[in-house]
Amino acid sequence: MTPSTHTSAPHVRKRGGNTVEPYLYLLPFAIFFALFVIYPVGYGFFVSLHRWDLLADTRPFVGFEYYKNLFTPGTPQAEFFWNSMKNTVFFTAVSVPLLVFTSLGLALLLYRPIIGRAFFRAVFFLPGILTVSVMGILWRWMFDNQIGMVNAARTEIFGLQPLAFLSVEGLAWVPIIIGTVWWTIGFNMTLYLAALGNISQSYYEAAELDGASAWAKFRFITWPLLAPITLFVVVTTALASFQLFGQSLVITAGGPNRSTQSTIQYITEEAFTNNQFSSASAMAFMFGLVMLIFTFLQFRIMARDARGEN
Amino acid sequence: MRTRHLLTLMLTAAAGTASAAYSGPKVSLTFLHGFTGADRPVMERLISQFNTSHPNIQVRAQAQPWGTTWQQLPSLVASGRAPDVVVINEDQITNFIARGAVSPLTAAELKSAGINTASFYGPLFKTADYEGKSYGLPVSSVAYVMFYNKDLMKKAGLDPNKPPRTREELLKATQACTVDKSGKKAGQAGFDAKNLDTWGISLYNNWVGSRAAYAAILQNGGALTDKSGNAAFDSPQAVEAVQFLVDLVQKHGVARPNSTEEAELAAFSQGKVCFFPSGQWYLDRFEQQKMNFGVAFMPRVGTKQDAAWGGSSHLTLPKQRANYDKNKRLAALEFMNWLTQPAQNLTWTSTGSLPTQAGVAKNAKFASAPISGVFAKLGNIYATSGVPWMGQVLTPFDNAWANAYSGKKSVKQALADGVSEANKQIVQARKSFQ
Repeated sequence: MTPSTHTSAPHVRKRGGNTVEPYLYLLPFAIFFALFVIYPVGYGFFVSLHRWDLLADTRPFVGFEYYKNLFTPGTPQAEFFWNSMKNTVFFTAVSVPLLVFTSLGLALLLYRPIIGRAFFRAVFFLPGILTVSVMGILWRWMFDNQIGMVNAARTEIFGLQPLAFLSVEGLAWVPIIIGTVWWTIGFNMTLYLAALGNISQSYYEAAELDGASAWAKFRFITWPLLAPITLFVVVTTALASFQLFGQSLVITAGGPNRSTQSTIQYITEEAFTNNQFSSASAMAFMFGLVMLIFTFLQFRIMARDARGEN
Repeated sequence: MRTRHLLTLMLTAAAGTASAAYSGPKVSLTFLHGFTGADRPVMERLISQFNTSHPNIQVRAQAQPWGTTWQQLPSLVASGRAPDVVVINEDQITNFIARGAVSPLTAAELKSAGINTASFYGPLFKTADYEGKSYGLPVSSVAYVMFYNKDLMKKAGLDPNKPPRTREELLKATQACTVDKSGKKAGQAGFDAKNLDTWGISLYNNWVGSRAAYAAILQNGGALTDKSGNAAFDSPQAVEAVQFLVDLVQKHGVARPNSTEEAELAAFSQGKVCFFPSGQWYLDRFEQQKMNFGVAFMPRVGTKQDAAWGGSSHLTLPKQRANYDKNKRLAALEFMNWLTQPAQNLTWTSTGSLPTQAGVAKNAKFASAPISGVFAKLGNIYATSGVPWMGQVLTPFDNAWANAYSGKKSVKQALADGVSEANKQIVQARKSFQ
């Protein structure tokens, strides 16, 4: 089922015409798509059904054994995979609202003609150009248990005890989530700024004539007209959050006790530390399936909203 | 030019006694290694030296990050396009050997290439052994050592030229170094272990930190794995040894709880901690800071033997397709022998690597170098290798250390949980080798 209603453009066909031509235009993309998407995905699925090692003499077919492992209590795969899923979902659930509403708030502030507007836009956008390792090391230092700036502020300014951010379960999420918001907020903000620029001023003028409050203007004009872009921002941010990898890898290495280990990090560990390629492939497919269902539901719910209020 | 001639002459003299150098037709070898940092130009210089002195062998080197090599090597070998010589590190090597990616070096081959395996440090050379066969020559070596701050030791009333060597000495020295912010010493009434001004030893929670536990376990006669390859780092010897380290934090208050590598590194650089056990790769950093420091072998906190963790890189010959040119293999052995000769190994130590053989460690160049403090015991450095599933053992081990160190679990519980996690993964891994 296609989520959008706008995909069926009118079909134009040259009379008595050439039906090969459009396919020729599509061909280069189709080749690359087949080569770099369809084939690897199919191959990956094939790998997940065998006990796979490129170097082994035999690669026996084991069916869904590696998928079954994920649902058999007591196996490390079941324990750590679902633990990493829980971590990833937690991260997504916390970071997506933060990333959507904070970026919207920033965009609303920076859309107005305030002094230094360009400067502030740049300030919020710039962290996004850093690589994840730079960003990760920066926030790891900021939140270091002993020498971090955050703990220095807690003890020197507020006279509080330092917190072991990097070695206490739960607390370890703080640097990861704050770091991620700081790192990626600029992109969403820029999307919102562009969308705000597309709202006709005449709506606001009309609202003002009717004596609408600032909140009413936001509630009944800005928010509904931003619905399509909000859908886009929520979906892309959620998918990006699901792919959490570098931030927790660099800041906490997935610890303490795998409490911040993301699904992708665990899949990587299974593949390249444990050399269990089939098991890792099975996990990747399971993870992909969960994301697919999640995205589908999100589209169903939010696309209805976006259409309904347009 | 002159020095090069001299060097060539010396080399021919050295090699001439034991081996007939490669004399076959001209061949070209591909050489894949992961020395991509400051060590890269040194390796490139060595290779061009080799090419000049061996007109009938041309080595073409390719440097790429280690991780990329681990990912590519299986498919290169499987498709018969493996490089002629590949450098593999200690934590990966047994896995690649067990999977058949690397071919064994037979005693006859080693002999005819003039390679004297006895000249290397024993445990270092054995890192690349598996089921009684040798698979690689060590070309580079790093190790876990103990840095000590001489100024701070003097201040604490310790002899800065006598770093602690035993468990008792370590405990005494660390207690002498530990003073809280109100000036009370460790062990005194009212001593506040949570607010330390200076302290005895750096322990911390990551994989580097867990190498202290690794050393302690080996020193006590324990091991990470047993004879059949199962995880076994919860033996009574292991628990006893790790308990001593954890007690330094929780009972004696001479190490900081919940610390990180960065924090301890900064503290040692600022002269706040007497002993900093870590990788020898920090040597350069402390030398550049002009610190007054020394380097010692890990004190013997166990009762059985001296031991410390070490990492190493080994020159290996990957498995090739059936019609592989035999001359290439002979030439590759020649290259391996040349690159690991004392003269070349000495050059290589300028990258920060430790000597791979006693003959190099004796060089006058090291006489007054701080690192020479560990040279007498380079033969007691043990790499984490020997089972094909080292990753499955090390990740749970590192987590177990973190849990014990932070006090989240008792030492016994932490190690037992780690072993049970590792062994569950090993059950799975074993199937790959059936």
